[in-house]
Amino acid sequence: MELFLQQVLNGLMIGSTYAVVALGFSLVFSVMRVVNMAHPEFFMAGAFGAFLTITYVTRNVVGVLVGGMAVALAVGLVVERLAIRPVRGRYVMIPFIATSGVGIALQHGAERLFGSDPVLVPPVMPSVSYSLGPLSVTRMQLVTLGTAAVLMLALRYYVRNTKWGRATRAVAERPDVAAAFGVDVNFVSRLTVGISALMAGAAGVTIGLLYTSAWAFMGLLFGLKSFVCMLVAGNRHIEGVMVIGLLLGVLEALVSGYVTSTLRDAVAFGVLVVVLVFKPKGLFGSYDV
Amino acid sequence: MSILLRVTGLQVMYGPVSAVAGVSLEVPEGEIRAILGANGAGKSSTIKAILGLLKARAGTIEFEGRPIHRLPTHRIHRLGIAWVPEGRQLFSTLTVHENLEMGAFARGNGARFHAKLDEVFSLFPRLRERRAQVAGSLSGGEQQMLAIARALMAEPRLLLMDEPSLGLAPKIVQRLFEQIQEINAGGISILMVEQNARQALKIAHYAYLLEVGRLVGEGPSRELEASENVKRVYLGG
Repeated sequence: MELFLQQVLNGLMIGSTYAVVALGFSLVFSVMRVVNMAHPEFFMAGAFGAFLTITYVTRNVVGVLVGGMAVALAVGLVVERLAIRPVRGRYVMIPFIATSGVGIALQHGAERLFGSDPVLVPPVMPSVSYSLGPLSVTRMQLVTLGTAAVLMLALRYYVRNTKWGRATRAVAERPDVAAAFGVDVNFVSRLTVGISALMAGAAGVTIGLLYTSAWAFMGLLFGLKSFVCMLVAGNRHIEGVMVIGLLLGVLEALVSGYVTSTLRDAVAFGVLVVVLVFKPKGLFGSYDV
Repeated sequence: MSILLRVTGLQVMYGPVSAVAGVSLEVPEGEIRAILGANGAGKSSTIKAILGLLKARAGTIEFEGRPIHRLPTHRIHRLGIAWVPEGRQLFSTLTVHENLEMGAFARGNGARFHAKLDEVFSLFPRLRERRAQVAGSLSGGEQQMLAIARALMAEPRLLLMDEPSLGLAPKIVQRLFEQIQEINAGGISILMVEQNARQALKIAHYAYLLEVGRLVGEGPSRELEASENVKRVYLGG
């Protein structure tokens, strides 16, 4: 029982970051019908942003988060301008290929800059553990979970309760009509990709700190799993994507704990195959392309 | 009387196909004008070109004397042009209230918003009861009311209405045309596209007849109603 609860807890920590990355993926897809294959690189940019901030600026954890998110945002806005805005509204494969190209360029650009081996992201806080009865949780894990929770709640509030969030939902449904009521659709595109980059960047910072490393190709597997979360949940409801992200983290932790850790990375794709056989639009429904 | 909207020699292409081939029309301040014609006559394309949703291949579009055919759609709206699209095209996952907020997007949510909301609800009382529902759950007639109410929230000077009566029961259509007249009496000029020529001619001051992208006639509604040719082609005998 203790092992079970401990694994669930560990799973929630990682799962919360899957959820944060998957939410950005899903937000960009549902608003612009663009599968942004460069999205995982925002996550990678966040981790290197954390490395750079710690090396050159500050070791304060909030400062490191802000630094990493700023680097991810800058990368996000460049990707939006180069590979999303010019092809938005075209057949779905066109932005898919354009963003894949930019994504690959970003990976190899990072490899050029930082080398092909992982760089060390030095710890920014003492490794303190807290015990919750029989369970233990580190301070860094709490920061990870807390950051993810704040970002998810903030996104939910933004989409539901703000003027630009409402405009974003309107653009998701009918871009032409939204434009005819005064919404600058290009601005919404920048805003949406920017938000998705900030979120993925924050996840990159926390994962970089948690595993004390950043490397050029770290976005691949993590990004693919987030993509799976979006497909399994469907992109219609952000709550659905959050829940599936958390569940995937828990499921992976349980498989590592009870079966074997070598199967951990297969879980997401196994679940994807099973779900898509029965529910091709995901568990909670998807927008059509 | 000043001319609010002037379209001159408008041409619109859908890929290689010509949808509008040299249409000229104008809407004087305070009038209701109608564009009549069959499916595929280029009526909706004309409206979309005015809104900047389709590019004008040739010709000019002026609003209050200012060329607008190179402006992006959201800027055209901000000059005072609102749209009631064909088939409503509501934001169906947003609530009635949120749709109305989107209508006032360029205006903001200040005190004027609430005054305008009351005004719109007094014209369409049903919408007040349904304000918390998602727009997709409304009946056809209610959806059309919401599409018009959304456009009114923008406080436009010119309202572009595309097939407002399409798919509505005859009794509702009757009431709808009365409401359009009330809106016009409130000082909003209207350019309306309709297949229901009989009803449109009753409320429009002036109408244009469109056939396969070309203007084939125009005149004050009373004269058109009396013309034998118009009776035969547009009014079914």
